[in-house]
Order: sequence, then C-alpha cells, then structure tokens
Amino acid sequence: MKPYEWMVKCTPQTEWIERRGILFWLAFFFIELGAGAFFIASFFNIVWGMVIGWLICGLLGGGLHLLYLGRPLRFLRMFLRPQSSWISRGIIFVTVFLALGLIHIVLTFLDTRIFSLFVATNIFAFLVIIYGGFAMCCINGIPLWNTGLLPVLYVVAGIWGGAELTMGVILTSGALTKIGHSVEEITRVLLVFFAFLVVVYFIAVRYSSVTGDFSVREIVGRRWKPLFWIGVVLVGIMIPLGVVVSSYTLALERIPIALLWLSIFGGLLGDLVLRYLILKNGFYSPLIPSQAT
Amino acid sequence: MARWGMVIDLNRCIGCYACMLACKQEHFLPPAVFWGRVLIGETGKYPAVQKQTYPVLCNHCEEAACVEVCPTGATTKREDGVIIIDYDKCVGCRYCMMACPYQQRTFYANDRKQYFPDQGLTELEVLGKQLHPLQKGTVIKCNFCLERIDEGLRRGLSPGMDREATPACVNACPAKARYFGDLNDPTSEVSKLIAEKKGFQLHPEFGTNPSVYYVVR
Repeated sequence: MKPYEWMVKCTPQTEWIERRGILFWLAFFFIELGAGAFFIASFFNIVWGMVIGWLICGLLGGGLHLLYLGRPLRFLRMFLRPQSSWISRGIIFVTVFLALGLIHIVLTFLDTRIFSLFVATNIFAFLVIIYGGFAMCCINGIPLWNTGLLPVLYVVAGIWGGAELTMGVILTSGALTKIGHSVEEITRVLLVFFAFLVVVYFIAVRYSSVTGDFSVREIVGRRWKPLFWIGVVLVGIMIPLGVVVSSYTLALERIPIALLWLSIFGGLLGDLVLRYLILKNGFYSPLIPSQAT
Repeated sequence: MARWGMVIDLNRCIGCYACMLACKQEHFLPPAVFWGRVLIGETGKYPAVQKQTYPVLCNHCEEAACVEVCPTGATTKREDGVIIIDYDKCVGCRYCMMACPYQQRTFYANDRKQYFPDQGLTELEVLGKQLHPLQKGTVIKCNFCLERIDEGLRRGLSPGMDREATPACVNACPAKARYFGDLNDPTSEVSKLIAEKKGFQLHPEFGTNPSVYYVVR
C-alpha cells in the first residue's frame, strides 16, 4: 500500500501481523492450541498431553503475548478492565487456567483427581480457547473479523488442534490404544466441522459488505491465493481428510504412523496459515465514503 | 457540560497540509508520526473524475470503541468528550488501534528517529520532549489540543472563538475550512453549521457518534 492510498482504499491492519505483530499471531495460535490440547488430554487423563498443552499455552502463548506488548512490565494493569475489554478477560482466563491446570496436573501425577477442579480447569481452558475469536470479532471496523462465525471457527480450530497434538503425544508414547482411537475419532469429526466452517465463514463475510468481499477475494482469489489453496485447503484439510478416508478403508492400525504424523502436522499448519491469512487480510473500510471499492 | 467538536468544510479545504504540519509542530511529533492527516482520493473515471480531499483526525467519538476495548483504562473519555491516553498506564497492546474504525492511532515504536540524523536533537526538539513526553511502546493520538483548551478556559477564553484556546489545526487552516466549538451548545458556530449545512460524520454505521463533522455545501 502506497502512503497516499492509506484509508482512501481498503486499508489492512498491520499492528497485529507485521513486524512484532507476528508475535501476536503466534501467541493466539499457541494459547488456543495449548488450551485445546489440555482440554482433550484431561478428558482422557493423558497426563503428558496436559503437561505439553499447559507448557505451550503458558510459555509459548503467554510468553509471546507478553513479548508483543510495547510495555510488558506493566502487564498487571491488563487485569483491570474485564467488564469491557476482551484482552483483559483473556489474560484473566489464561492466568486462572494456568494456575488451576498446574494444580490439576500435579494431582494427576499423584493419582488424585478432584472432580470439581477438573471441571473448573476445563471451563477455563474452554474460555481461553474462545477468547481470541471474541477479541477479534468485536472489532466492527474490520468486516472479515466482525462476524459471529469467527469465534466458532477459532473454537473448533483450537480444540481440533488440541486433539491433533494429543494424538501426537499418544503416537509418541507407543502403540495406538483404545484412547488413541477415541481421540482420532474426535479429530475426524472436528476436521469435517472445521472444513465446513471455513467455507461458511468465507461465504458469510463475502456477502456482508464490500470490504468483507474484498478481504475474502484477496485470500481466496488474489494475492494470497497460493497460500490459501496450498496451505489451508491442501495441507490443512485435504491431506488430513485423505488420511481419515484411508483409515476408514484400511482400519487405523494399518495406516503407516508417518501418515498419521503427516495428518497431524498438516492440520496444525493449516490452522496456523488460516489464522495468518485472517489477520493479514483484516481490511478497514475506506474513510472517504464513495471509495468503498 | 460542553462537548468539544469540529466541523470541516470540504468545499473550503484546499489540501495544503497546513493542519498536518501545525499539529506536528504543536505537539513536537517525532518523524513519520501524524495525528492529523489529509486524505486525497479520486472518484469516477476519466473524463468525469472528481477529486476529494478529506482532512482526518481522531474523531473523539461519544461511544468510543478505543475506550471500550482498552484493557488497562489508559484510554478514557473526559467529561467534555475529549478522548485522552494516559501514557503511564498504556501497555502497548494496540487493541485500541484495531478497534478504531478510523485508524487514527499510532504506535510510538521508535524514539530514536531524528529529524537530523546523527546531529542530535535541536533545541526545539529538546523543548518538545519536555513539554510532550511521549513514551516509547505506547499508543498516541490527537488530543484536540486539550492543553490549549484547558489553559484557555482557565483564562476565561472560549475554545473555537479565541485562538489561544483553539486547536492548532483550526488556527493554521488558511482557507478557514475548520471550525471548533461546543456541540452541546445550539448557538455555537459548529452546531449551526451542522444544522444548516447538514453535517455528516464518517462511518456513522459503526455507532460511534464522532465529534468531527464534515459539511460539503
């Protein structure tokens, strides 16, 4: 974008994706991925899945979030406005989740499970997963984000990513157990739901406004076309879908482990790329009223 | 209570950028930072092309999205409607920048940029850093020259009528395209202009109710 085109034509947001903004993109991804992994792993009592999810959420997600701030040493102030700010709510959700999650992990290691703690931790894990989508969808200046479908898409992507990561932990620990089959079933359902939501989301945004249409066209048919079709559709959806289809025809045990890993990495990469494209193509409507094309 | 607002007559604006520079000078803004801008666009196709000039600045919205989303309470709205940022409270999360549909906020990332590289700060720049101590890593924006408004009111002056109490961009406009005053006072010049010339706001569909109006006739 040339300087004289700023806000005269559709203008992209840059602060949450360019330069240090890259940290913000990764922070949102890792926070939701980690909370999603914890969410799934705790239901199946896979303690290492919980540990990895907790670490990804806390260290990678939380750490990158803090690094992104212009004044990170003042982060405690971000707890002050949960009544109106989603960022404030998010940091509270993450903090409470990390605290409860740590206690839950320690108790699980000690073979002690407290049901109320399990429920509370997973409620906060879920709140952490939904926070990113809501933080973005309340920004009404960017039509690509300002839709109720975005939080739904991010929730499904977060839990799906978490299930993929948990599957990875199961594969690392050895043979596919009954739990492995159950987790794989969850990833299959979520994958189909994710693919469906991606289509519905882009169609809904495209017909919401001129700027929304511009954003979707940039992603699907113009500048970001190769990244979308290869990164999201092929790697993120078609490859995992291919593995799902072959697992139904061959049975899961007969699928080469490498193919399962490919499916896991493909799914995670697709999610990451989709989030990048959604952040990168967050366009504001032009300020000059008659220039909305 | 007054609600300060501005009216910009687009027929009078000649796109000279005097308002941008006056603002920069008033607040000693660092290189590449503008609190006010002049957007120039074209509509239509040759030969029926129309040039449009839109001076823009923080709209000091009544229902300001930036105030709502700020997680620290650094961005607040004063009783007179002016939206201000407390740099000591800002953490630099830039959520307010995202939320502003008018994109009128700037992240002050680099405090080492100089107007005269490797020659140090001029006396004027040193003075500016004392008068307006911006903080690196925080978000900054137009404040309607509230230091002029407050000082003017203290001295019994009327913002919009007396130059000393009026924003610098309004004073600097050579075409008298900018007007400043109390939107809550129906007898003020800005209220009359809005009523007579059917003043409009940018993107009213966002429900922010900006305090900056534009008139074209």
